[in-house]
Amino acid sequence: MSTTDKVSPATRWAVPGVAALAGVAYLVAGLLGGDVSFGVLGFVLMLGTGVVFMLVARRSDTLAGLRDRTDERINAIDRSASLVAGMAVLLAVLVMFVVEIAQGADGSPYYQLGALGGVTYLLSLIWLRYRR
Amino acid sequence: MRNDVRGERLARGLSQAALGEALGVSRQTVNSIETGRYMPSLPLAIALARYFSKTVEEVFHVND
Repeated sequence: MSTTDKVSPATRWAVPGVAALAGVAYLVAGLLGGDVSFGVLGFVLMLGTGVVFMLVARRSDTLAGLRDRTDERINAIDRSASLVAGMAVLLAVLVMFVVEIAQGADGSPYYQLGALGGVTYLLSLIWLRYRR
Repeated sequence: MRNDVRGERLARGLSQAALGEALGVSRQTVNSIETGRYMPSLPLAIALARYFSKTVEEVFHVND
């Protein structure tokens, strides 16, 4: 039993890596869509976010915990924060779906997003039910 | 749930940061455990108890 797992480089670079990938996605989308400034701005913004995260993680135990994933309390806080964020997005989707319907629209794309959230929740429930 | 983590740590002259480093958690996590704001997982509770050469029951106490 160990509570001091070694941090793999993949884990350490996950957050800045995802930020960089998102930046590249913004850049490609901007170039393809003819909005170069959006692409460049999005790329620089996401790359900067990743760099700032890595720099601040040197001084902040919380960000270092999010980077290394070895502190169970930080991991628990991250799970709770993710749950709150997910519920906020789902609530916003449901509200917007109702607003769209009330305005005579078909509720798109909110009903698809709501369905995605519901199906994901059910599949996760089933998966976790059999794993734990 | 009460615990004697602070007392055991101070008896050994350890800082929260030193104990956290030994256990692979942050100083804040040690502080949160000591003040009762965070309940450690079973593996971490066992690791803490073993670190102090005690049993889990000797370090953590259920409030009656």
